[in-house]
Amino acid sequence: MTTDAVAAAAEVPVMETTPTAEPAEDRPARWILDVRGFSVDYGYGDQAVRAVDRVDLHLDRSTVLGVAGESGSGKSTLVYGLTRLLRAPGVITGGQALFNRGDDEHPDVIDLTTADEKELRSVRWSEISVVLQSALNALNPVVRVGSVFDEILSTHRRTLNKSQRRARAVELLTLVGLNEDRLMRYPHELSGGQRQRIMIALALALEPKLIIMDEPTTALDVVTQREIISELFTLRAHFGFAMIFITHDLSLLVQLADEIVVMYAGRLVERASARALFSAPRHPYTLGLLNSFPPMHGAHAELNGIPGSPPDLSQPPSGCSFHPRCPYAMPRCSIDVPELRGLDEGSRSVACWLHSEGGVAAPVELSRRVGADRASTDQSGSVRP
Amino acid sequence: MRLIGRRLGVYALTAWVAITVNFFLPHFMPGNPIQTLIGKLQNNVTVSEIRSIRLSFGGGLHDGLVQQYFTYLNQLLHGNLGYSITLSASVSSILKSHILWTVGLIGVATVLSFFFGTVMGAILGWTRGSRFDSAIPAATFFQSVPYFFLGTVILMVFALNLHWFPESGPYSLNVVPSWSWAFVWSVIRYGELPVITIVLSSVAGWMLGMRNMMITMVAEDFVLMSVAMGLPRRKVMYAAARNAILPSIANLSLAIGLVVSGALLVELVFNYPGVGDLLLNAVLNEDYPLIQGIFLVITLSVLAANLLADLAYLALDPRTRTEAVQ
Amino acid sequence: MARSPKVIVGLVITGFFALMTVFGPYLAPYDPNDTSFAPNLHPSVQHWFGTTSLGQDILSQTLVGARATMVVAVVAGLVATMLSIVVGVSAGYIGGYTDDSLSMLSNVFLAIPGLPLLIVIDSYLPATSRSNALVIGIIIAFTGWAWGARVLRAQTMSLRNRDFVEASRIIGESKRRIMFNDVVPNLLPVLASSFLFTILYSIGAYVTLAYIGLTSSSVWNWGTMLFWASQNDAPLANQWYWFVPPGLCIALVGTGLALLNFGIDEFINPRLREAGLSARQRRRMGLERRPRLGLTPVVRDVESPVTRVPRSVAS
Repeated sequence: MTTDAVAAAAEVPVMETTPTAEPAEDRPARWILDVRGFSVDYGYGDQAVRAVDRVDLHLDRSTVLGVAGESGSGKSTLVYGLTRLLRAPGVITGGQALFNRGDDEHPDVIDLTTADEKELRSVRWSEISVVLQSALNALNPVVRVGSVFDEILSTHRRTLNKSQRRARAVELLTLVGLNEDRLMRYPHELSGGQRQRIMIALALALEPKLIIMDEPTTALDVVTQREIISELFTLRAHFGFAMIFITHDLSLLVQLADEIVVMYAGRLVERASARALFSAPRHPYTLGLLNSFPPMHGAHAELNGIPGSPPDLSQPPSGCSFHPRCPYAMPRCSIDVPELRGLDEGSRSVACWLHSEGGVAAPVELSRRVGADRASTDQSGSVRP
Repeated sequence: MRLIGRRLGVYALTAWVAITVNFFLPHFMPGNPIQTLIGKLQNNVTVSEIRSIRLSFGGGLHDGLVQQYFTYLNQLLHGNLGYSITLSASVSSILKSHILWTVGLIGVATVLSFFFGTVMGAILGWTRGSRFDSAIPAATFFQSVPYFFLGTVILMVFALNLHWFPESGPYSLNVVPSWSWAFVWSVIRYGELPVITIVLSSVAGWMLGMRNMMITMVAEDFVLMSVAMGLPRRKVMYAAARNAILPSIANLSLAIGLVVSGALLVELVFNYPGVGDLLLNAVLNEDYPLIQGIFLVITLSVLAANLLADLAYLALDPRTRTEAVQ
Repeated sequence: MARSPKVIVGLVITGFFALMTVFGPYLAPYDPNDTSFAPNLHPSVQHWFGTTSLGQDILSQTLVGARATMVVAVVAGLVATMLSIVVGVSAGYIGGYTDDSLSMLSNVFLAIPGLPLLIVIDSYLPATSRSNALVIGIIIAFTGWAWGARVLRAQTMSLRNRDFVEASRIIGESKRRIMFNDVVPNLLPVLASSFLFTILYSIGAYVTLAYIGLTSSSVWNWGTMLFWASQNDAPLANQWYWFVPPGLCIALVGTGLALLNFGIDEFINPRLREAGLSARQRRRMGLERRPRLGLTPVVRDVESPVTRVPRSVAS
């Protein structure tokens, strides 16, 4: 499974983004989200648990960032925290989240962590929207779908009258491939796939700059999953919004993501372009995640999970949180916490002791060249430890 | 529609059970109450009155039990609820004048109690952790106070001592029943304490139920979505409340039963000329036909109220109307 | 079970009245029937709650009255709970026609208003039966079992389809074993809550019957005291000390039971527990208001919990 092969199949060029370490103000204003040192705790005092630890993110206009990790890795906490939608007992304990709600010529930056309710309301849905899982209770069970559209449009687009709002709703439904009669339905009368398309249509209603998707296809069957991912891809290409796509299933990000960050126990452990991540992972956890899914092309390989389970965040392991499950763990890994460090002139980063000091300790499967065919590596050496 | 049919079926069955219980109790209780009753009255009533009384229980001595049962049912269908011993009149005629006061009292009190209870419960659930929470222990306490005790205390404090409210009766002795403003105002004035008593005793139930449901609803995804959509706060709260209120309406039937029971006693405390007063005097005087008649009327009214509540629920929760897609 | 203040207060109150039930008659200073004292006395050192218009000591009546009231209520609660278990669990677990008919039965009993039915039944009872606590308890239970049955049925139905019960069934456990080992332990919280609620209802029902005069007036209970108080126009004579003690006792027992029920409710539905930070914690962190949805609080300069884990010198 290489991004090259997939890209060839989809006939779409794969984008390579180049995140830099320059401060936000000096960067050319193509960015929309800049997060530094973001931390979130659950609880306070002795019972506090750090769910997200000093995460940095950067998102340019119209790019797709995938956030991958197991349940409990902190990926949802991170993203909800950024938008201040995190429920109690979550508390943001550090960092900043700069959002540029203007355009390239006239940037208008606000810090989401210090914004008050008025400021947050001014960006919510019109600039940043959210798509949750297709659960029955993600939409108000006692109102018709049409009235949700009407509510959003009347709150944010005051100049529209009723029939114009309806027309816009119909337009949005058509975009996601639904008939306008769905507007008269209640959520429980729709299938999971239809509900998810409605959620996507709602998210697009005000043409936001950023759409956050939290495991939007997890509750759906595989066929519908792939359909919706494709539709998202097309919509994004057409409208140009940026996307943060949270998932535990890396295979979904193959087609969609430009850049991917992998989280484990509340920290970023790897950041790379999608192409680089899939063809040449650097972190053992990433390798484990990739090996959990069957390759789409190439020879059959044995499926692995990752042995063990995610750590209890109230009692995190010493040193690197992944070391108890890591097949390449060194003595140092249980003592010192690896920080996220740049590789390849800063185009990617990884938090792993295997790659310190020139990466001499890194095994072959974690040192491949970017763009190398994984299938050929299968023949020359074992893919797994 | 099938649902309404089912509910109607349950209520019809309940009415039938109530009627049947009414019939069988005097015939099966130890001590043969009917005979005893008629024996006691032998010298004080006319023969035709005795016949009316017998009819209240289902007819003559010579008919078999089943025959008496059908006579009883037949009488009911013709609107004959029996003949009162103590008041020497047909039960239906007695009830006609009294039922209106009870219905008015219970109706007004229930509406007010439901309204205040659910609104306060919604606020409590929404603003969880604020100073409003201190209302909860107070409400719990009031809920445990028996209706008649609360009424007595209120009567003593506010009417007899502070003289803020009139003490008893449905309206002032100075006014004549008519549609004049003076009369209506007097009715309202005299009804205040009984209504307040009932509301205070029952509001806690609504409040706590609504609060718990509100807390559950606020934890649901659709509420978070509403906030994420940038909707004004009161709209988000309304969306949560609109969902949270459904169990309260579903439980209305149970609550109405309790409110009715309490209201009967409150009438006693405040000398309100409703059905409660009537029932309790009937009990003290062992006026069985009257007791039975009142029981039946109360039960049927409660069933009618339940049916209304069920219809309201059907209207408010669309999930009951169509099958969910699997 | 969460040790919230509500539960603790509830336990204290209920414990207090349980003690009164057991020890009340021994602690009463005088015989409650004794009319030898001066009537209508206000509370004093010799008579803490004063005397009735017949010259009886009210404190003694209150203490002795606890027993009859509570015993009948507990008997009624037990009988009603047993009935509701039989009907509710069978309906929920067996399903099918059994469920349909049993549900119909409980719906009927739910719809008939309890007190009027109770009054009708009781008025036909011969006077001798009215002093029998068991008989009164049973007829109260007869009118009050339906709510518990409905709740238990719902809970049983949801448990029946849970994975662990399914697993037992697949392994081939007998129905009885499944019911006792898997279903019943998970029913206990709901059962406890239903039991307490039924006792609450029974106290109210019994006291009401006594107030109307439908129980034997020779047995002392709090409702009878209120009966006599109202018969003698105590409110008009401002004899608050006559009816306030028994009424207050009823209210307090009820409150205690209700608070216990809160605790059980919170145990059953974790969302009702004091989730998140308590008011005290929030104040310590410098957050003035309660957390509002969509406004995740931000507190900086908090020591990272991670750093508290022992760590050697960073590289």
